This record gives sequence, structure tokens and C-alpha cells, in this order.
Amino acid sequence: MDRDSILAIVIGQVREVVPDLEAQPISGGDAMADLGINSIERSEIVMNTLEALGLDLPMVQTHGPRNLGELADLLHAKLKRT
Amino acid sequence: MPSLSAPEIVVTGIGVASGLGHGKASLLDGLLAGRDVFSVLSRPGRQAPDGRTAFMGVEMPDPPDLLPKRVARTAGFGARVAISVLDEAWREAGLDDVDPTRIGLVVGGSNLFSREQLLAVRDYAGRLAFVPPRHGHVFMDSDVCGLCTASFAIRGFANTVGAASASGAVAVILAAEALRGGRVDACVALGALQDVSYVDLLGFRALGALGSERFDGQPGRACRPFDAAHDGFLFGESCAALVLRRAGEAGPGYGALIGAAQVADGQRGPEPSPEGQKRAIALALAEAGLGAADIDHVNAHATGTPKGDETERETLLAMGLEHAWVNATKSILGHGLAAAGAVELATLLLQMRGGRLHPIRNLENPPEPGLRWVIGGPQPHRIRHALKLSFGFGGIDTALVVRSPEGGNHGL
Repeated sequence: MDRDSILAIVIGQVREVVPDLEAQPISGGDAMADLGINSIERSEIVMNTLEALGLDLPMVQTHGPRNLGELADLLHAKLKRT
Repeated sequence: MPSLSAPEIVVTGIGVASGLGHGKASLLDGLLAGRDVFSVLSRPGRQAPDGRTAFMGVEMPDPPDLLPKRVARTAGFGARVAISVLDEAWREAGLDDVDPTRIGLVVGGSNLFSREQLLAVRDYAGRLAFVPPRHGHVFMDSDVCGLCTASFAIRGFANTVGAASASGAVAVILAAEALRGGRVDACVALGALQDVSYVDLLGFRALGALGSERFDGQPGRACRPFDAAHDGFLFGESCAALVLRRAGEAGPGYGALIGAAQVADGQRGPEPSPEGQKRAIALALAEAGLGAADIDHVNAHATGTPKGDETERETLLAMGLEHAWVNATKSILGHGLAAAGAVELATLLLQMRGGRLHPIRNLENPPEPGLRWVIGGPQPHRIRHALKLSFGFGGIDTALVVRSPEGGNHGL
């Protein structure tokens, strides 16, 4: 799966977990904290994305990205290694 | 005798949800009409997956959407129902005008989300790495406290209290104590929806507490408190919030709680204790400064189990309450377990204001010697002083004495 498809999954999960953002344009440059997403919601979004990708990773390995695009890059790299 | 210095506690707001619908109006109308809302339970997780069960009872319509979608998707069914009843009680009592740091919340009930826990075990089997982070707090009963205080301006205190089927009544007792002690100026007692799973119901059935073998397939006839053909209780989803205030600060409201008692009778399991029941009634009457002759209505615990009904009837006769009109709200709503005490106190107060008592459904062959049963249809009656009984597994006996706003000068 390419990086942009992964980003689309991440953004889809953002809208699923935070329905308030349904109508808001969201791109790879957006950070979840800046979108008003709390820490429990952030964890759920990452976890749902991991499941959608079939990736069973410790959550700690998903820490570090500063925005949705970087998260997609990281997951893309992990997916290539599996 | 009541303490001269103790402030009188009144109920100024009520919110309810049951099989009769959401809100007080549908509840009272349905009770007075003796509407039949029993059916085979159909909410996911209420019947064994292998088809061996057809548990009957009462389920309520979905609560109104009061929470933002973002919050609602993370809230359990019982928590969303709690928000609905709290909203109704809150608005009626005008709690927006009370300092939030002077408002408390006592949630009656424990193990409130067991059906949803069972569904989570089923849904995450084979994908345990993806149990969502919210599960770490929504499985706790205190999530009801968290959701209620995050949604309404309650900043005094909030906690849960478990007392089995007397939980709702104990929540009322503790809320009243918080007001008498000056801890807060308004306190909500919430009898929480006990969201049972089929495993819980199988346990009740194995225990011999659950009806109904005799009326299997006839849900409307199966729940029969005090009737000769009773054979156990039927579960009924329900929930109620009552706002308690000090009378001097809030007016007479629906009525005053002038006596309350909770005792431990030393039974671990489901066995009723006549001694414990009598002691609770005697203590509550003493606190109210009343005798049995002053009580003109009893809202009985009356689950429909043969042993429980018989023990309670004997208790009421032994206490000299044969003159008081008796009804049994579980005959219409089913048994709300944790919620029952609060829901039934709410129904009592609504009947007190409305001047009519609801009938006991399915009481076709009452036991002898009898009590003054309300049978057949609604009974016009001006309640002055009423007794509400709630008993719980684990030897918990409670009695509440309520006086109508026009009820007399006792306790003043």
C-alpha cells in the first residue's frame, strides 16, 4: 500500500473518531493536537489505523510523528518491513 | 423523634426512563393504565448465543440524543440513559442557578456495564491488540459520574454506591445525608441502569430468583408480584435521577424525605430477612416521628419471587400496615435492580402529586390474609405519608418515609 493511501486511512479514522471534523478539510500537514483531538482519541485513531493496515505494533513505536503525514510515512515504512 | 435542628430534605426534580418511555409524563400515564411492556429481551447480549434462552422482561426505547456525537460514540448505553434522566431532573430543579461547587452526585449501582463488557469480549476475541483505549475507563461504574459531571455543572462531589437492588434507595439516603451535613446545597441521587448480560440472567435463573417457567412465552403474564402464580422476577431496564434539596432553600417540591434507614441483616445471598426488614421500617418510622398508623401507602419492593413476596407481606402485616394501600411498581416496569429504589421512589412521588395509585398488574389471586392491594385500575388516593421499601442481595434492607407537601406537621 502506498503512503498516500495510508494517509487517507489515517484521515478517515480521524473523522470516524471525531465526528466534529467530518466537514473540515484535513491534510498531511495537520497535527492531531492542533485539530483539538485529545490523547485518548489520538490513541484510538492510531490503533484503528494499525488494525486497518494489519499491523500489530506496540503503540510506543508510533510515537514521534509531528503531523498526520509523518505518521503515514512511519506506518508506510513499518508496513514495508513486514 | 426527628432532630429539631436537622434540615428537612425535599425532592425538587425528577427524571426517569423505563420501558414506558423517557420522561415523567409517559411513566405516570403508563403506570396508571397498567400498560403491558413486557416482551422477550432483544438487546444484543441478552440471550445466550446457542439459543437456549428466551429471557423475558422490559427494554426501553433509545434515549434522546443529548450528547455531542463525539462523546456519545464513547458512552455506554446506561451512561447515555443517565444523561437523559439527569437532564430532565436538572432542568426541573433549576440547578443552573446553584453554585456548581455546591452540587453533588451519588450514583446508585455497581457492575453497571456487564452486557457491554460481554460484547467487548466477543468483539475483540482474536484481535486483542486493538482493544480501544477508552475501554480503560468506560468499563468502570464511575464513568457514569465522569460523563454526568463533564456534561452538567456538578463540581461538589460524585461517586457510586453499590447496594444490589437497594442501590437506588441507598443513593437517596446518602444524598440526603450530604445535604443534612452541609457538604452540598443540592444533591442528585441517580439509580443507574443495570445493563445485565445473558450470563447475569443465567445466574439469576440458576439462583431460582428469575421468572418465569410457568408463563414461558407469555411475557405480559409472567411478572406477578404477590400473586399465587408468581415464580420470580423479570428484569426491566430503568433509570431515575432525583434532585434533593434542603426545604428551606427550595420549597416543598414533590414531597419530603422525613425518615430513612438502611440495615445489614447478615444474609450473604438472596434470602430475605423479616427481622432486617422490620428493623429498617421501625428505624425509618422513628426518624420520621410516625407510627405505622400514619402510613397510608406502601410502594413495596415486591419482585415477584415467592419467598420475597411472602416475607414482605408478613413484614407489612407484622408492622401493622394492613390498612395502607400497597402497590408494586415492578409488576409494570420489571425489576431495574440497581435503579429500582430510585425509580420506584420517583413513581411514588409522581403518584403523590397526581392523587392516584397505579394498580398491581397480574395480581389475580392475592394471598390471605391480605393487604390493601391496588388491583384492577388506578386508585384515587391522597397520599399523606408513604413508605418505600427496597431490599438487596447481600442482606441489605432499606426503608424510606415520604411526606406529601400537604401531609401534616410531623417533623416540623
